[in-house]
Amino acid sequence: MKEMKNTTKKERPSTWWYIWQLTKYKPWVYGTFGLMEILIFGVFPQLSGFVIQGIFNRLTGEAAVSLNLTTLAILLVAVAVGRGIAFFTDVWLYFNFQYTVTALLRVNIFDTILRRPGAKAVPESPGDAVSRFRDDAQEIAWFMSEMLIVLGFGVFAVVALIVMLRINVRITLIVFIPLVIVIFIANFANNKITEYRQASRNATSKVTDFVGELFGAVQAVKVAGAEERSVDHLKALNVTRRKATLKDVLFSQVLNSAFHNTSNLFTGLILLSVGSVMQAGDFTVGDLALFVYYLSWVTDFSAIIGDKIAWFKRLGVSIDRMIYLLQGTPARKLVEYAPVYLRGDLPEVAYPKKTEGDQLETLEVHNLTYRFPDTGRGIENIDLHLTKGTFTVITGRVGSGKSTLLQALLGLLPLQSGGIYWNGKRVEEPGEFFVPPRSAYTSQVPLLFSESLKDNILMGYPVDEAAMEAAVHAAVLDDDIAEMSKGLATVVGPKGVKLSGGQRQRAAAARMFVRQASLLVFDDISSALDVETEQALWKRIFTTQKDATCLVVSHRKPALQRADQIILLKDGQIEAVGRLSDLLQNNKEMQRLWHGEEKVS
Amino acid sequence: MEAMPKERVEKLQALSTKQLLIKYLSPQKGRVILLALFIFINLGLQLLTPQIIGQFIDSVTQKETLSKLVRLGVLFVGVAFLQQIFAIISAYFTQNVGWSATNALREDLTQHALNLDMRFHKTHPPGEMISRIDSDINTLNDFFSQFLLQLVGNILLVAAILIILFFEDWRIGLVLTGFSVIAMLFLTRFRNIAVPHWEAERKAEADFYSFLEERLAGTADIRANGGRSYTIRRFFGLIQSMFKRSVKAAFMVNILINSMFLIFAVGNAVSLGVGGALYFNGIITIGTVYIVFQYSRLLERPLDQISRQLSNVQKSLASLKRVINLLSTESKIVDPHQLREKSLSDGLTALGQEVSLCFDHVSFYYDDQPEQALVENSSPEPVGQVLTDINFSLAPGEILGLLGRTGSGKTTLTRLLFRLYDPQAGTIYISPHPSQSQAVDIRQIPLSTLRSKVGIVTQNIELFHASVRDNLTFFDSSINDSRILEVLHGLGLSHWFNSMKNGLDSDLESGGGGLSAGEAQLLAFARIFLKDPGIVILDEASSRLDPATEHLIEKAVDRLIKGRTALIIAHRLTTVQRADKIMILESGHIEEFGDRQALTLNPDSRFNQLLRTGLDEVLA
Repeated sequence: MKEMKNTTKKERPSTWWYIWQLTKYKPWVYGTFGLMEILIFGVFPQLSGFVIQGIFNRLTGEAAVSLNLTTLAILLVAVAVGRGIAFFTDVWLYFNFQYTVTALLRVNIFDTILRRPGAKAVPESPGDAVSRFRDDAQEIAWFMSEMLIVLGFGVFAVVALIVMLRINVRITLIVFIPLVIVIFIANFANNKITEYRQASRNATSKVTDFVGELFGAVQAVKVAGAEERSVDHLKALNVTRRKATLKDVLFSQVLNSAFHNTSNLFTGLILLSVGSVMQAGDFTVGDLALFVYYLSWVTDFSAIIGDKIAWFKRLGVSIDRMIYLLQGTPARKLVEYAPVYLRGDLPEVAYPKKTEGDQLETLEVHNLTYRFPDTGRGIENIDLHLTKGTFTVITGRVGSGKSTLLQALLGLLPLQSGGIYWNGKRVEEPGEFFVPPRSAYTSQVPLLFSESLKDNILMGYPVDEAAMEAAVHAAVLDDDIAEMSKGLATVVGPKGVKLSGGQRQRAAAARMFVRQASLLVFDDISSALDVETEQALWKRIFTTQKDATCLVVSHRKPALQRADQIILLKDGQIEAVGRLSDLLQNNKEMQRLWHGEEKVS
Repeated sequence: MEAMPKERVEKLQALSTKQLLIKYLSPQKGRVILLALFIFINLGLQLLTPQIIGQFIDSVTQKETLSKLVRLGVLFVGVAFLQQIFAIISAYFTQNVGWSATNALREDLTQHALNLDMRFHKTHPPGEMISRIDSDINTLNDFFSQFLLQLVGNILLVAAILIILFFEDWRIGLVLTGFSVIAMLFLTRFRNIAVPHWEAERKAEADFYSFLEERLAGTADIRANGGRSYTIRRFFGLIQSMFKRSVKAAFMVNILINSMFLIFAVGNAVSLGVGGALYFNGIITIGTVYIVFQYSRLLERPLDQISRQLSNVQKSLASLKRVINLLSTESKIVDPHQLREKSLSDGLTALGQEVSLCFDHVSFYYDDQPEQALVENSSPEPVGQVLTDINFSLAPGEILGLLGRTGSGKTTLTRLLFRLYDPQAGTIYISPHPSQSQAVDIRQIPLSTLRSKVGIVTQNIELFHASVRDNLTFFDSSINDSRILEVLHGLGLSHWFNSMKNGLDSDLESGGGGLSAGEAQLLAFARIFLKDPGIVILDEASSRLDPATEHLIEKAVDRLIKGRTALIIAHRLTTVQRADKIMILESGHIEEFGDRQALTLNPDSRFNQLLRTGLDEVLA
């Protein structure tokens, strides 16, 4: 926990830096979209304004207008048609830009998470992470789109300023004062906005988070008869969220009204100051119509600008929330340029070919230590020595650190201290290193995904049918598949729920075997298997995976008997190392572990 | 739900949109009425502004006194200020009404979905449920609050403007009314064109986020098996389909909005033309021309808003359809809620810990995918029969040891007892001690009663990102802390518990991070002790425990099953040594059922054979 807090507090580049990186990322995508927004918000409204001024001047005859009334009316329609066409083009440009930006942010986060130590890849729950993926990435893309609208309005404002200055300098200045005030107010209110926004976002995460967990555990909830009580818990989270959101909304609305009011106040002032000028005949009704027309735009503009400044602050919150998911990876990674594949072919699935160096000769571990930051428990000063083709079993009581040891070794937990050596060479990034074709892994409670059994096992790994069959056979899954009406094409449901616990475990084993890695690491692979299936599984592992080096957590007898060495853990430390017969003779803990079962019978 | 005939779904929806609104808005009647009031006042103030400027122009051209001009200027500022005040108040009320209503809907929807049977949950991952319960209902937020009132408000505003225009000059009124009617007809005719496209977009979105949720939970599996690039490829595949659908949906909406703009540009031009002609003929003043022009522009705003709201409504309708679809999905497990007969209900309340249990010729298969079954299987014969003709009974307090290979139907049998599924044939009875004659079909017992009487410990324990207390009691606040501590102590978890910084208030990580699988399993035992049910099922409950720890909790297990009827599922023979009866399942049939002692002594029994295999394992 401590490490994480430090990393989020670490300096990150400014919010503008992120926006600038994203602007440069695909300049054409943003540029063409920007031009279109200028056309829609800057050019077309300006044209309408001129036509309106012309119409009123034509009517009162106060100023010379060369076009007749019908032509002016037709022009008004023509401007609307042009704007309509522009809007259509804009739809595509808009989404193209939105998806470009969100896809880049999302893939950078996702890729980072997939490279993180896998056992602790997201800081909170997956549901919470999803809400960050969804809302916070969207927030930046929306903001950048809105900035272009501001740009469009800006173009409009500049033209308006020139036109108005040429009509009357004093009145023009009055129109633009509110803008300055609004920007001032918005800056002033920044901190509060950030605070309220953060609170409402967090309350939202808590809700999505809980809903995700609730449905992930739906069977347990049903069996516990806890449906109503869970909904009560949700109710409490909902109330917090409503209150937080209301605060957020109310504050933004007050701010927004303040913007509008300043503008309105100045419209009133214009009316007051224009009276004498008009009566003197220096200011036509057409000019007034144009000024009031401009004012309604300036009002919107100041509201939009004020809103953007406030939004810009909230954007900082969104960026922080996304960086939180990166967990210590440099904050610049969020906007690192990478292809986003919005159209055309998807990226290739890359599996490196097995090379000489991927063959394991020896694996050494020195002084490996990992302590969970929350509880301080874990493993301490672990030394291991594995040689090619051997079978090593890690055993010990519940909570003795067996799984932690495997995860720390494979880089699924961050390396705290100690060294890992593959064929004598130090492994700097265990998480990057311990992947196929060097190693493959089956966790204690393996997860499958809602796709076909085949896709689950292969995950895009390119192998022929024979290798697939061999892996399925080695995992003792062949009979099960034969019984499924769709065989390997069977879709296994969310987290593999359509399979039994034992089938999931063996499917995960097949996923490991098919990769033909030099080092196989499996955690309690047989816990959900019946006696006969388990015996078949061990037998097939010992015959088909002879060439592989195996590192296994188990307290099952067939595994212990076959082991070339047993690493016995107690309270996170190595209690003893050796073959079963030696340990049974000399070690009390081993005797207890071995005979525990028999005492019962 | 997918199998539901299409017309029926649509009928349900037509009925329910209105019902839904009434149901969720009526509890806040007072607030809704106030909100309506504020919105209408706001609209009224909007109508005043053009009048003020129009009068101003006329005053100027008619060379009236400066003090009148000043009065008009001050009036303008005052009206504009009031308008903003009401905007703030109505924004607050709108959000409050919206969030109260949608929160209630979220809760009801969650409750409903939790009550749906497992068939449903097997095809709808948690990520999808997040998108249904949160994203979809977020879209509905506007629908509940703003949309209805603003739509009504805007329609009234349009009507008021047209009436005012008629008063200014009937010809202009007529022209603009004509255009408004055309616009409205157009809107109502094409209102729904984008709905199916929005639906498709939301579906693509739901797919994407449930993909993400699932993968984020399984990062260890992906990473250590080199599945990253494959997962990234799938990630982009889903983004591509989201992108395509978004563009398509937005195009459809834009057709609508743009046509509206065009109709109004023409209306604007025509009204200016007519106004101009009338002015030239001296029928109206230049101030009136301005008022007409301003109103025709003012008309554009509510109509634009109406069309925008309608596009939001299209989104909302797509969401609403999904919500209603979900709400009208019926669980195949019918909950009797209330017992029909009083005597039965009395018997069940008295249902003590000693319960007898009877499976009467029960057969079952999973029919999870009716749509696939219809397409692919021409044969009416159910494929994959999981349990066939299961027939046995247990006396109160008896312990059954259930053996069999993976996939032989052991776990399924327990699921039937909880009514996570109902069997296609046969009946399951339970009856209060002692008279067997009062056996009750479990389908007649309210689900909550049934499930409070049966407890299970499985090999998977689902932990929430919530306090230790809530995790153990499943949010049941009636269980007091000392009881929880006592249970933890009894299970030898005191050491673990003492390492928690805030005691029972410490938050556990979601998915049980930081706990070993063995510790998690001990927590599952703690849950069941706190629940104190009459029937206990241990489904491979100790498979993740090492023999030494397993031995430690033996006593706890003994205490747990003492005096209760119990089903112990095991892959290992040692686990069933405390059973009175043994059942061996093979491919869903009872291969052997009988007294454990008798079976152990009978050298021809399958159990005896298995015992020898088990011993082989030790001796090999």
